[in-house]
Amino acid sequence: MTTPTPPASLPPPPPPPPALDPAFVAAPTIAVDEVSVWFGQKVALSELSCSFGAGVTGLLGPNGAGKTTLMRAITGLLPVNQGHVHVAGADPRADRSVHRRLALVPEDEAVPRGLTPRQLCHYVADLHRVTDRGIVDWALQTVEMVPAADRRMDGFSKGMRQRAKVAAALVKNPLVLVLDEPLNGADPVQRLHLISLFKRLGDEGRTVVVSSHVLHEVESMAERVIVIVRGRLAAAGGHHAIRDAMDDVPRQVLVRASELRRLAAALVGLDAVGALSVTDDGLVVSTLRARDLAVALPRTARDLGIRLTEVRPLDDSLESLFRELVR
Amino acid sequence: MTAAAGVGPPPTPGASRRARPPLVAVVGYTLRTALPGRRWVGVLLPCAAAVLFGLLVRGLEGDPADEFARVAALALFPLVLPVTCLVVGDAVLGAEVRSGAFSFTWLSPVPTWQIALGRWAGGTILASGSMAVACALAAAVAGAGESAGAAATGGAFGAAAYVAVFVAIGCIARRAAVWSLAFVFLVERLLGAALSGIAQLSPSWEARAAFVDFADAPADLVREGIPHGTAALVRLVVITAVALAVAAVRLRHLTLAGSSD
Repeated sequence: MTTPTPPASLPPPPPPPPALDPAFVAAPTIAVDEVSVWFGQKVALSELSCSFGAGVTGLLGPNGAGKTTLMRAITGLLPVNQGHVHVAGADPRADRSVHRRLALVPEDEAVPRGLTPRQLCHYVADLHRVTDRGIVDWALQTVEMVPAADRRMDGFSKGMRQRAKVAAALVKNPLVLVLDEPLNGADPVQRLHLISLFKRLGDEGRTVVVSSHVLHEVESMAERVIVIVRGRLAAAGGHHAIRDAMDDVPRQVLVRASELRRLAAALVGLDAVGALSVTDDGLVVSTLRARDLAVALPRTARDLGIRLTEVRPLDDSLESLFRELVR
Repeated sequence: MTAAAGVGPPPTPGASRRARPPLVAVVGYTLRTALPGRRWVGVLLPCAAAVLFGLLVRGLEGDPADEFARVAALALFPLVLPVTCLVVGDAVLGAEVRSGAFSFTWLSPVPTWQIALGRWAGGTILASGSMAVACALAAAVAGAGESAGAAATGGAFGAAAYVAVFVAIGCIARRAAVWSLAFVFLVERLLGAALSGIAQLSPSWEARAAFVDFADAPADLVREGIPHGTAALVRLVVITAVALAVAAVRLRHLTLAGSSD
């Protein structure tokens, strides 16, 4: 009888799963697979692949980039010419039951003529067989629309129309909420309120996709950003991660210190520094290696006995990222 | 699709309501939104024109019933009826598709046949009601009260068929109003006048044929080669059903592009 011998050593641990492409999420609610959409000669989306999961995802891009087209393809309002879109595993064009928990707040200013927000919400509730009497009031209250709930929407400002449409979308109690420029026309207080609402909806486990041209607002509400330029996926991930990934894009850092000219002379010799200029505001350092600069700059200043008073990226915002991608 | 735990608005115990059936909701919505403010003018003007045509009959010599029949055959059914229905038919769908407001209805689990039927029913209540009253009033004003029922019946059935056709066109073409006008004046008036086969598919010609038969109009108004009387009404119902079926199928494949991309 042979006694089984224990293995000399434990089997090696399984290799770590390959890092997920930032354009995709681990548990997607919306899957966009190689989607192309064109209108005649104009290509609106070109072989775009990405996915969206729980939480808020910002959709960015210049006018005509394809954001609205993508959102309409996701909701099934537009057919795709190539590729596939799946929402909760179903094709939103073919399976109308998907619309039970899928809501869109369209960018168009149009609202049903002659209707009040309350009537619109009741209509949507009826279409979705919502029997909870309180949900319409809850939705109107959530977007702070109660005082104007019984006024006809024809005379509403764009911001009020957007809020009414958000209320109508909430009536569905959606799992997937697609918001096309929902902050357009909203006043600053309402913007903050809506941003907070969208974050809360994302935190609740819903998939919230928001497009906006007001990029700093997207920064404040979306953990994840998808950037589309000319119908193609330009970048994806957190906005800092996207920025870091763009190694070939020069970044600018403003440095304020006690002895600017001496510091500039020392920095010129560093590999991490591409170019620098002394301005009235301070020392502007251009670099392609931001991480290296972040290490070298304080070390150099310390060695020279120079006190750094401020080190601030000049372009670490989505606006600048956007400009770089479009360029 | 299931929601994540804890997601959703706070429940309101004991506050459940009976949701209206979606079809009823669509009809109610259509009645509310189709003709806001100035669009009513587009309906009332041709209806007023119908009454004016009735008044014109008073200036004609001859039997008022015969003269009214001629005016109805030449003006009410080929002109007033399609124009009125064009305003309503475009308003119930085409205009909403163009404006983008139709997405509120389309993005729902309601089957497209119910949407098409609801939109048509709402539009038909408006158009058939207006046309029936206008045609009957025109007959009464003309002094041909005995033709009022026939005129109202032809007008109402013709309007129902027209609204269905215009709803179908709204599902097929982006510029629905232009295509609807082309249907009325090129297909019905131009081709329909020359070809019986086209006239058989025309709400205008069939409504007129029903009226002519029911009103015992002069024989020269009877057009050979198309159904008359009740058969014409049946034909109008068939046109309505076919148009609604086309609309329901097309609605499923409707493309609702945004304004910015």
